[in-house]
Amino acid sequence: MTDATPTDPAFVAGATVEVEQVSVWFGQKVALSELGCSFGPGVTGLLGPNGAGKSTLMRAVTGLIGVNTGRVRVEGHDPRRDRSVHRRIALVPEDEAVPGALTARQLVRYVADLHRVADAGAAAERALDAVDMLPAADRRLGGFSKGMRQRAKVAAALVTEPSVLVLDEPLNGADPVQRVKLVDLFRRLGAGGRTVIVSSHVLSEVELLADRVLVLIHGRLAAAGNHRAIRDAMDDRPRHVLVRSDDPRRLAAALLDVDTVAGVSFTGTGLVVTTDRARDLALALAPVARRLGVRLREVRPLDDSLESLFRELVR
Amino acid sequence: MTPKGDGAGPAPPTTPAAATAGGVRPRSPLAAIVGYTLRACLPRRRGLLVLPVVGAVLFGLLSRTVDQASATAFARVGGLALHTLVLPITCLVIGDALLGAEIRSGVFAFTWLSPVRYSTIVLGRWLAGCLLAVALLAPAAAAAAVVAGAPSSAGPAAVAAASGAAAYLALFVAIGATFKRPVVWSLALVILVERLLGAALAGVAQLSPGWLAQAVLVGLTDTASDLHRDGVPHGWSAVVRLALVAAVGLILATRRLRSLRPASAAD
Repeated sequence: MTDATPTDPAFVAGATVEVEQVSVWFGQKVALSELGCSFGPGVTGLLGPNGAGKSTLMRAVTGLIGVNTGRVRVEGHDPRRDRSVHRRIALVPEDEAVPGALTARQLVRYVADLHRVADAGAAAERALDAVDMLPAADRRLGGFSKGMRQRAKVAAALVTEPSVLVLDEPLNGADPVQRVKLVDLFRRLGAGGRTVIVSSHVLSEVELLADRVLVLIHGRLAAAGNHRAIRDAMDDRPRHVLVRSDDPRRLAAALLDVDTVAGVSFTGTGLVVTTDRARDLALALAPVARRLGVRLREVRPLDDSLESLFRELVR
Repeated sequence: MTPKGDGAGPAPPTTPAAATAGGVRPRSPLAAIVGYTLRACLPRRRGLLVLPVVGAVLFGLLSRTVDQASATAFARVGGLALHTLVLPITCLVIGDALLGAEIRSGVFAFTWLSPVRYSTIVLGRWLAGCLLAVALLAPAAAAAAVVAGAPSSAGPAAVAAASGAAAYLALFVAIGATFKRPVVWSLALVILVERLLGAALAGVAQLSPGWLAQAVLVGLTDTASDLHRDGVPHGWSAVVRLALVAAVGLILATRRLRSLRPASAAD
């Protein structure tokens, strides 16, 4: 664990997982390119489009694949070479592959036995209970829905009480109620001192889930920090603000004369103002409306969510 | 981990020592792997596993058509069919399920992502395969000998089938850990290397589980001397050679696991 206090948002103080200039390629395809970042206690969200390298990074962190250049350390150890690391780290893989002939209880118990967990039966019960799987614990995994398989895999990961938990799209297929419960579970695990790394395509959930976000694009780190910090780091990119008023046409014409406004367009719900400096726009908007006698009904940034950040980053 | 509903956050991370201290004694990982393999990895349609038994008995019956002493006729027809067809095909099906199929599907990650040593993983998988193969093939070979009218060959036939299966499974586990299409490579080993090259070259036959299993049967029974191949050990010497082949296969599989990149279903 490093004690340095990094200034780069890609790195954290007291990191338990360190990724140093890591490149991974499969034949001609580069999956990760000189990626550097670190993870510490708490929940970190990993975002990126398909093929961005999220799963590759997670597999490298857990030692499932080796890296071509650079190095990965989990609590100071190489997860690829040092098998003892697996006592402290667990992965919930994205794919649906499970041993279909086993029941959920048998799978969790098997993982507990491999890790020599004391009183594995009781530990398996607790892990299954944590993901609400006890009622279905004695059903075969082959008959489970996607969401139930995911929960069974989460239980199998939790049974070893890992200090580093890597979750690749863990909410896939979960129903809304289970999503809320799993999000709550992961947050509690992070708050309890575990390093939780979670990837998801459901970005609104990551906003709720993660204290910190890393955005991967084409195997490179595109942004890091909380989602607002990432947005601030992108100030040179245009932002879009929805402005609803009682006279959008007059307001639009006046806004075109404001320096900070790069463009205006009409939508069914109002004006969409494009600006390079959102703060200046906010200061200028009210005086312009007052001068025109136009009543503002709503002013709302359209791209402050992770979804919109994501769209901009991959554009 | 804190049980759900206690209102508190999860317990802080425990060290491995804390996790294993006190309480119920943890189960051996080797035993866990053997149990898991028998439950999860072996072919779903287990009724098909009766086929080798049926085949062995039929080949035993076929031996009766040869106009020679029963033991010789069984070694020449039934034994040969057992060791060139029933034994390798049965072991190929079981051997692929032990490791190769799991690696291809991505399920192997559950085992690989554990602190268990690679050698323990390989040994556990192989032991489970051996348990099943021996339970199937040894009685089948003995039954074939009895059906062939050579009950004195039942014991040697069972030993030959068991030792041959152990060697075959080790090789197929190694192939499963090495190649993306282990069934193709396993068939190539059996058909091209063992049957074609092994028939012509004693040096190949000396390391071939099929030829060595036949040599076990021939050596442990009173059969025609023309069935003895020069340069190929017979009887218990062949059993020892098969054990060596199995050991080499297990070592290769263990080494291969070190550099394995377990696939995900998306790969």
